[in-house]
Amino acid sequence: MRSKQRFLVGLLMCALAITSSVSAVPKGERNVHVNYKETKLKNGLRVITVEDKSAPVIAIDITYNVGSRNERQGRTGFAHLFEHMMFKGSENVGTGEHFYLIFNNGGNMNGTTNEDRTTYFDALPSNQLDLALFLEADRMRSLVINKVNLDNQRNAVQEERRLGVDNVPYGESGEVMQGLLYDNFAYKHTTIGSMEDLNAASVEDVAAFFKTYYAPNNAVLTLVGDFDTADALNRIKKNFESIPRQPDPPPVDMTEPEQKAERRANVDDALARLPQIDIAFKTVPGNTPDFYALQVLSAALQGGQSSRLYQALVKDKPMVTNIFGFADEKRGTGAFYTTATLRQGVKPADVEAAIYSEIERLKKDGIADWELQKAKNGTRRNFINGMQSSLSRALQISVWTVYYNDPNLINTRLDKVSAVTKEDVQRVANKYLTATNRTVVTTMPKPKGATTAVKQ
Amino acid sequence: MRNLTEFRNRFFAALAIVALASSMSLAQQRGGAPVQTGQSVKGADLKGRAPVSREILKVKLPKAEEATLSNGLRVVLLESHRVPTFTMQMVVMSGGLSDPPNHHGLASFTATLLREGTQTRSSKEIAEQIDTLGTTLGAAAGVSSFTSTITASGLVENFDQTLDIFADVIRNPKFPQDEVEKFKQRQLQQLQFLRSNPQFLAAERFQRAIYGNHPAGLVVAPAESIKSTTSADLAKFHSTYYRPNNAMLTIVGDVTLKEIMPKLEKAFGDWQKGDVPETKIPAAPEPGATRIQLIDRPGSVQTVLQLGNLGIERTNQDYFAVLVMNQILGGGPAARLFMNLREDKSYTYGAYSNFGGSKFRGTVVSSSDVRTEVTEGAMHEFMYELKRIRDEKVTPVELENAKRALVGSFALSLEQPNALLQNIVTQKLYNMPADYWDTYPQMVSAITADDVQRAAQKYVNLSNLQIVAVGDASKARDVLAKYGTVEVYDAEGQPVTDSKKATP
Repeated sequence: MRSKQRFLVGLLMCALAITSSVSAVPKGERNVHVNYKETKLKNGLRVITVEDKSAPVIAIDITYNVGSRNERQGRTGFAHLFEHMMFKGSENVGTGEHFYLIFNNGGNMNGTTNEDRTTYFDALPSNQLDLALFLEADRMRSLVINKVNLDNQRNAVQEERRLGVDNVPYGESGEVMQGLLYDNFAYKHTTIGSMEDLNAASVEDVAAFFKTYYAPNNAVLTLVGDFDTADALNRIKKNFESIPRQPDPPPVDMTEPEQKAERRANVDDALARLPQIDIAFKTVPGNTPDFYALQVLSAALQGGQSSRLYQALVKDKPMVTNIFGFADEKRGTGAFYTTATLRQGVKPADVEAAIYSEIERLKKDGIADWELQKAKNGTRRNFINGMQSSLSRALQISVWTVYYNDPNLINTRLDKVSAVTKEDVQRVANKYLTATNRTVVTTMPKPKGATTAVKQ
Repeated sequence: MRNLTEFRNRFFAALAIVALASSMSLAQQRGGAPVQTGQSVKGADLKGRAPVSREILKVKLPKAEEATLSNGLRVVLLESHRVPTFTMQMVVMSGGLSDPPNHHGLASFTATLLREGTQTRSSKEIAEQIDTLGTTLGAAAGVSSFTSTITASGLVENFDQTLDIFADVIRNPKFPQDEVEKFKQRQLQQLQFLRSNPQFLAAERFQRAIYGNHPAGLVVAPAESIKSTTSADLAKFHSTYYRPNNAMLTIVGDVTLKEIMPKLEKAFGDWQKGDVPETKIPAAPEPGATRIQLIDRPGSVQTVLQLGNLGIERTNQDYFAVLVMNQILGGGPAARLFMNLREDKSYTYGAYSNFGGSKFRGTVVSSSDVRTEVTEGAMHEFMYELKRIRDEKVTPVELENAKRALVGSFALSLEQPNALLQNIVTQKLYNMPADYWDTYPQMVSAITADDVQRAAQKYVNLSNLQIVAVGDASKARDVLAKYGTVEVYDAEGQPVTDSKKATP
């Protein structure tokens, strides 16, 4: 009864690791190892399977190598609008039938789009494996494209934009930041896009996008859960292998020129009640040594109540109601973000100065041992808890395979974070958190009835 | 590939799969029930060609173990060895409902301030020690909750150190005066921030509409209550209610009872019992007539709509009928509200209904955020759906789908140990039978179309429906006036008279 058998969990050094990396995991720490099998179908579809019979669940994720970075001028928001079209029917699946069937059979599903990828996932009781494969294959093969569906989802997406951007405080600030921070169009616009561009999207755009990007050779399928691998692979082949391959999509130029001077913008926000400051520093692509060091830096500077910014600006000298931030992970140039919501009556310039003073202190003296430990333990807990469900494992494997061509990153990611030293953290702070590499957006509540801009 | 079968977790070893279809029969079941070829619902076209297994997997839920410390503190453990982490939660059986009548929020402030200093640790030391372990530590009590909860979640190798801090903040908080003052300032600023959020404004007005002066009429503690709070108030609430005979320690994760019991005894065994006054649960007031309340939020491009009624207590015998009714009305994207307002009309990004209840009656509420221009159409569809769920029996297919959704999702919950533990806590808090969650699928399955209609007619009552809208009053007011007299408020909750009303 008390045996501590773990289906996936073992001492790292004992695990039958696919990777040969041996990390210095302190005694007592147990990591989670995911054994996966990789198969490539004749049409180029990359398939990763993880057999795990610990719960009667299957989860499938298909990540397409397309995001808003692939959009062209005048069609911002299109990759996400297209994602919505994927739920409006295919040759053998009616409009709305996909999610009707998933939810009415005890499942869960969704699709999400960001700059770097579009991903679709379904989790179901394990006896519904065929249903999941059928639904995903049918829309990859034969999406129904018509104006009625497009107009319908254009409206839904525009409501999504209103809900997340236009009807909430600081919604505009995020858009202004992204437009100011980046020079390359790939990241210079938001994934949700502009109302104008959403209105311009045509049926022809949808058809061309589908043919170019929704090809089996431009996708990764990950299946995790309660199945027999050989049997599941046969079913995957039966459903997907006859979908024709397409020419490879055009490569995206992700070159981002070096920033030479600080950039600033002001936003007057009629929906905000408190001023807000958003600060971003351009950094590096994800899954690089500097990126992992920036994650540790962010934990020390702005992660949780023990962080330097929380202690200085919320507790010691209260200036803000809230301060937080993160190192954004991107396939292209990432960024290090900090957002502070000010108390009433506090000057934005004073808050900025206080933030920079903490950054300078960190650049000069580096971080303490406990801060390094905090970052590593916090990352570990987060990562390991994220492995609980088949769905999150499937999603993670697909996305990292599309991003970095590395399904095994799910087994090596924590080693990469563990490798970060205090010196690395101090070095990346000095390299990226500089005044010339900084972009600042200041949002001020717009007084009722005011029509003129608030002066800086 | 390593064959993982032998590593099957013992919790799931007894998994009962009833009549799990073989691959052959699965293939033959394309087009099987409950979806029939060519059948459609509003918002969806059902071709019925996708292969659906007719069987609902019956899953055996893992059982919790229980123990008692020497001072009587109950311990509930749900072992889960999926990953090497744990979550521990102290449930104190007193919350906002134990607040003094003129001090709403005291239970909430007490919980929040536990980590702002103990006899031996400063606020900053607690933050640093907790974060260094990679642990999360939170504490909360609702304005109208009957419990306060303190939750720590961490890596299993840091269990002992986490337990030490967890016990310290629960047993020895000091509520230092300077931290209390800082907290009050933060809370007051936070209220300003909340008032810029349209969903908050809608929820605040809706709760007030349903509950009046009942504690559930509040969403957050009022400013006066924050301002008047002292360190002594907090210490008194803590010493009165935070007692082992008024609490339950629940744990889920990669630990065993045998290994943790001595540790728990050391951490909590000498925690002193106390005479805890009984908290009277105030009944929700009887519903008044329909009111339409509009909060003017200049600059809004959407109208937030909430329409609802008083519902049921968690233990009400109508629970399963309401559960199925809600599932069909608006329990998810496959439900009527979403299919109609989003998929068919594309008025919104989402439309749902919800219900809840504790030891007093909860609400049954339908809601959506729609662009201002279609407020009229959205209101029309909401009223149509609320009337329809009352006036017409749900179809056999809808009923069957709702049951499959509710029962089928138990399989997925086996991968969410925290949710399983919360279910066990619910069973204990409401003194439900020990086999409550085991019989849950049968209870759901027993619901008929008549039961659903009875529940709708009882709890979706159009004559006392409370309607709340947040948006641009200059555009939404006339639309809402078609349903009755519209009361207009500003974001502070103050009535806006016509003479005072700002011109758009």
